Amino acid sequence: MKELDPLLHSQLRLAVMSILMNVDEADFVFLKEKTEATAGNLSVQLDKLSNAGYISMEKGFVGKKTRTVCQITPEGRKAFEQYVEALKEYLNL
Amino acid sequence: MEEKKLTPQESMELITSMIQSTKRRVASPDLRISVMWAALTIITAATAWILLSTTHNPWFNFIWFAIPVIGIPTNIILANSRREQIKTKTYLDKVSEDLWKCVGYIAMGLTIGCFIAQQCGYQQAWLAMFYYAFIIVGFGATVNGLLLRESSYIFGGLFSIFSGFAIIICNLCQIPLLYSWVVPLYILCFLLMFIVPAFIISRKIKAEEK
Repeated sequence: MKELDPLLHSQLRLAVMSILMNVDEADFVFLKEKTEATAGNLSVQLDKLSNAGYISMEKGFVGKKTRTVCQITPEGRKAFEQYVEALKEYLNL
Repeated sequence: MEEKKLTPQESMELITSMIQSTKRRVASPDLRISVMWAALTIITAATAWILLSTTHNPWFNFIWFAIPVIGIPTNIILANSRREQIKTKTYLDKVSEDLWKCVGYIAMGLTIGCFIAQQCGYQQAWLAMFYYAFIIVGFGATVNGLLLRESSYIFGGLFSIFSGFAIIICNLCQIPLLYSWVVPLYILCFLLMFIVPAFIISRKIKAEEK
């Protein structure tokens, strides 16, 4: 049986990746609302995903406010697909 | 949500719930920009039509410049305010945005071309802007309708494209393009392409929210 990617096998990181698989880009506020995570925790998990090359983060400004936009990378997409395949094996789907 | 290890079953449930929550129309189309352009075009066309048919003074043709002069800055203001509100973008949002950018660039290029032609003594070159409005904008509305799966956009766009070709045929057959029927047709096309679909979409969104 395939091993589950430890980076994706965590509640918050998996939730973020699932959202980003479905949209082209999402900002930090949107991810925070959807995952109901705290800003600090979400920020740490996003950094982990970004360091692994699974997502890209772009920090910018809208007016005077900062805005972080996240996008899934091709590597992240591939890892997510492999993770889902592995899950299916575990669940005999 | 915390950083918690999951069972395979929980993982699958989490993926499903996240996908479902983002599938619910995460970004509703920004109707304000298209409605602004359509309303501005309709008001300008109606004003030019009334003034030209009552006074027969060709200087009133300059009223048409109100479309880019008012439209472009208003578009920039609306787009900036939208950027502040928007939290996520789907692939469709991006394609739709790029599509209207292309339609806009064609308009700018064509305006420059018509202006150069006018300076060379070919005033009738401005007629190309009519063809653009009927055919290129109509094509944009049709593609937008296909992307959003909104049949009213598709209908309005196709109606405009066919109207544009009807005008080209009239021109080729040397049937005079009179203000009395071309401008009302132009207004009707913009109503069908943008105002009617915007009304239908906003009603659908309200119904969904209820």
